[in-house]
Amino acid sequence: MKFLRKVLPTVLPAVLVLLFLSRCAPEGQDLQRPDGRQATRSLRVEGPLPARQPLAASDRVLLRFRSDVPEEYADGLLQSYGFAAVRKIPRLGVFSVRTSPGVGVDETLAMLRRNPDIAEARPDYRTRLAATPNDSYFSQYQYNLRNRGTILDISDDIQPQTTADADIKAATAWDITQGDPEVIIAVIDSGVDMTHPDLAAKVVSSGRDFANGDDDATDDHWHGTHTAGIAAADTNNGEGIAGVAWNCKILPVKVTEADGTGYYSWTIDAIIWATDQGADVINLSVGGDADDPVLEEACKYAFDHDVVIAAATGNEAGAVAYPAAYDDYVLAVAATDYNDEVADFSNYGPEVDVAAPGVYILGPAPQWYVGEGNLPYLFASGTSEATPHVAGMAALIRSLKPGLGASEIMKIIRYTADDVNQSTFSGRDDHIGFGRINMRRALAPYILK
Amino acid sequence: MKMRRGGLRRLAASGIGFFLAAAWSPGAEPTPLPFTAGVMFDHMSRTVVWEGETETSRVAVNCVSLRAGFDLGRGVTLGLSAGLALSDFDALAFLDLPISLELGSSVLKGVALAAEIEAVLLDLGDFEIGAAGRVVSSFGLARTWTLEDFAVPGRAEGRTNWMEASAAPRLAYHLSGGFVPYLEVAARWFRVDVRMKETLEDLQDAEKKRIKGDFSLSASLGGDIRLSDRLVVRAKAGIVPHAGGAGVSASLGLLFAF
Repeated sequence: MKFLRKVLPTVLPAVLVLLFLSRCAPEGQDLQRPDGRQATRSLRVEGPLPARQPLAASDRVLLRFRSDVPEEYADGLLQSYGFAAVRKIPRLGVFSVRTSPGVGVDETLAMLRRNPDIAEARPDYRTRLAATPNDSYFSQYQYNLRNRGTILDISDDIQPQTTADADIKAATAWDITQGDPEVIIAVIDSGVDMTHPDLAAKVVSSGRDFANGDDDATDDHWHGTHTAGIAAADTNNGEGIAGVAWNCKILPVKVTEADGTGYYSWTIDAIIWATDQGADVINLSVGGDADDPVLEEACKYAFDHDVVIAAATGNEAGAVAYPAAYDDYVLAVAATDYNDEVADFSNYGPEVDVAAPGVYILGPAPQWYVGEGNLPYLFASGTSEATPHVAGMAALIRSLKPGLGASEIMKIIRYTADDVNQSTFSGRDDHIGFGRINMRRALAPYILK
Repeated sequence: MKMRRGGLRRLAASGIGFFLAAAWSPGAEPTPLPFTAGVMFDHMSRTVVWEGETETSRVAVNCVSLRAGFDLGRGVTLGLSAGLALSDFDALAFLDLPISLELGSSVLKGVALAAEIEAVLLDLGDFEIGAAGRVVSSFGLARTWTLEDFAVPGRAEGRTNWMEASAAPRLAYHLSGGFVPYLEVAARWFRVDVRMKETLEDLQDAEKKRIKGDFSLSASLGGDIRLSDRLVVRAKAGIVPHAGGAGVSASLGLLFAF
């Protein structure tokens, strides 16, 4: 650490770190309806859905008579049992019955199964809705997490038609895990607005500001707030957006000045610092064009400490930027859009590992940036927006399987991706790597048949 | 391969039919059969809790085997059998693997070997008090699955080994010459391990789920029914109570006497 701090300022040129803003800024849109309404604020908000319930109902069973049992006889038999309620599902010949008062399901099932006229009797298992967050903008705007093929109504001028299922399958993966609060995502960026309603409860500390040399990583741009929210915004809190990793925490690390530029030395310092702070995942929606062995060494340091690094490939439709290009230690993330097509700005090359949605992604923004009267959210595009999807996914995998190392988590993310451009480039390719990430395939059990 | 409830009911009904048929048919006092050989079908299901888990699960085994029985004299018989066991682990999940795997409707095969000894300890006229002990073990055969829809080739390989040992006092009644039904209450000890290996190109890992020793009691009704001098039907059915759901055990066999 000391060595790096002494040597870096003299050996390394003060390489300008470019935030990948070229695509973000022009397309950033304040989340305000054209007519000035803030309709989503007035929508009814339901409470959190229960995570788990008993497997079967405590007072209901399903049964079916043998096919040769007359209907009248069956009805009479059911009456004789004294069930509290009987409902028939005619097309299947199945009866749903409420057990008699004071008689349990097990006892009822045993009684029914003793009757030779009854072909089968089984518990009435409970269902529940998939873990769908109640955040205001989830259903309408976050196609990246669950795409239903609707029109993405951003403004009067921007209303793209989306393709159903061109998403990262987050909603079904959340049934498996919503993340462990002990798992930390370090967002090395322009800082984080720690007062933002979708982030205030998620940051673990005020972080570290390497641009100004203090312990206050407050965002003076907007970029870091946006990427932090995509990865792990406060979710199911009835407002704003859903993050990929609902329950995981954010460690803010600031490596750029207010204009969105910084130096490799700050990023290197930040990677080392975040690793030493116990980060599980590092999101690097920053990068530069120069290959630097010290930057690679910092990435290796994190990798060797089982920290998963997700980094943006860049937005110039050119070569993969650094540190994303450090293939052994970093997941290089390209961008796709709402139709699962490669974003035209996304950098490409053999280092690309996976892709994630990076076009018109809704995320939080500082209130001062969007202006009073506007909601503190904006749409932005770029591989910067794609990258935190992968960081969030890595955090969920670490939450579910804490025993896995960085290398294994990186492979899971790669190997479970959807090859969405297979019609033109079958298999791994330089544009989206192994494909657009698929959280469900990575997190839900594979059923052996 | 899991036995359907209708199948179990038919099995039980068939057993009862044999019992009744034998009970109503006059017969002489049973004479020892020095050597029998035949085919057996055994079904066993029980509620278990896998090591490291808290929720109950079910294990069901169907086994078809060839059986040889030897009369060792003094009321002691020895049975040896070998066959094929199909083990169903009811959606057992391997959640520590990089990609979690779950046994859906898959069964795992194994070579089952069993030894059984039965002895008459006390003859009380129409009643008889005896004991039975049985050890059955299944040595797993590997089963492989291709893991589809991944970006790289993948496969999983599963294998199970299990063993059940039981010992039971037995109360028999000389209902007729051809049929001596009995009631037994058995103490059953069961251990099992299921290994699953996962390979997705260079991502490899293995996980083992196991039950080191699960103890339970069962109550069974059974009997050997002599259909003729050379033909014997062996049937037994019982329940294996357990908090969270009772299991069942059933066996049916056709044996020839030599």
